[in-house]
Amino acid sequence: MNNIQGFPVSNVDLTGGAAKAPDQSNGFGQVLQDAVTQIDQAQGEAQNKIGEVMKGNGSDLHTAMIAVEKADLSFQLMLQVRNKIVAAYQEISRMNF
Amino acid sequence: MDLFSVLDMSGRALTAQRQRAEVVTANMANAETTRTPEGGPYVRKHVLFQADAPGTFGASLHDAIDRDVRGVHVSAVVPDSTPAIKRFDPGHPDADANGYVSFPAINPVEEMVDLMGAVRSYQLNTAAVQATKSMIQQSLEILK
Repeated sequence: MNNIQGFPVSNVDLTGGAAKAPDQSNGFGQVLQDAVTQIDQAQGEAQNKIGEVMKGNGSDLHTAMIAVEKADLSFQLMLQVRNKIVAAYQEISRMNF
Repeated sequence: MDLFSVLDMSGRALTAQRQRAEVVTANMANAETTRTPEGGPYVRKHVLFQADAPGTFGASLHDAIDRDVRGVHVSAVVPDSTPAIKRFDPGHPDADANGYVSFPAINPVEEMVDLMGAVRSYQLNTAAVQATKSMIQQSLEILK
């Protein structure tokens, strides 16, 4: 979660994603990739917790609920960032010279 | 400490209250138990709440609030020291030579009040989770 919270905006290289190799370590694509991976992990964890509760392994119900909430909130954060990026892209693509 | 660790802290408090409710329920269930595998009547149990250990040294240096803000956990379940209640009942299979039976020193009314306390604390901590959740949602609103 810390990686998402400390979203390194100053390191974002807008030219890195398309113009250069996509696997560049601090390229914009990589940053997005990392964020999506983190959210995927959070959702996987939530799914595991729910599974444990359902199987009756003695896991706490509220732990599962909190894991689900965390996954939901990180997904919403990702969604907001993505909306902002798409809006910026559309703004640029509408520019006329 | 970020808002997600606040959620974790509330989660640990919920676990602690759940364990307290569990112990109180066991006390009520065994209020009349005269026989245990260890011998003698059931002994009333208490839960001990303990503040969590502070985070790592590095984390403390990073964030001053991490040094002082701590969650809670149940450190131990300890037996009550009140002696068993003696009731005269010579026909009871667990009666001693003088005809007295040892019953656990459990007052169901006290246990019920303790259970209500556990339920209220649980409610309180779920309210804290809701509050933290709405704080996170509010900060996402900034981007809209």
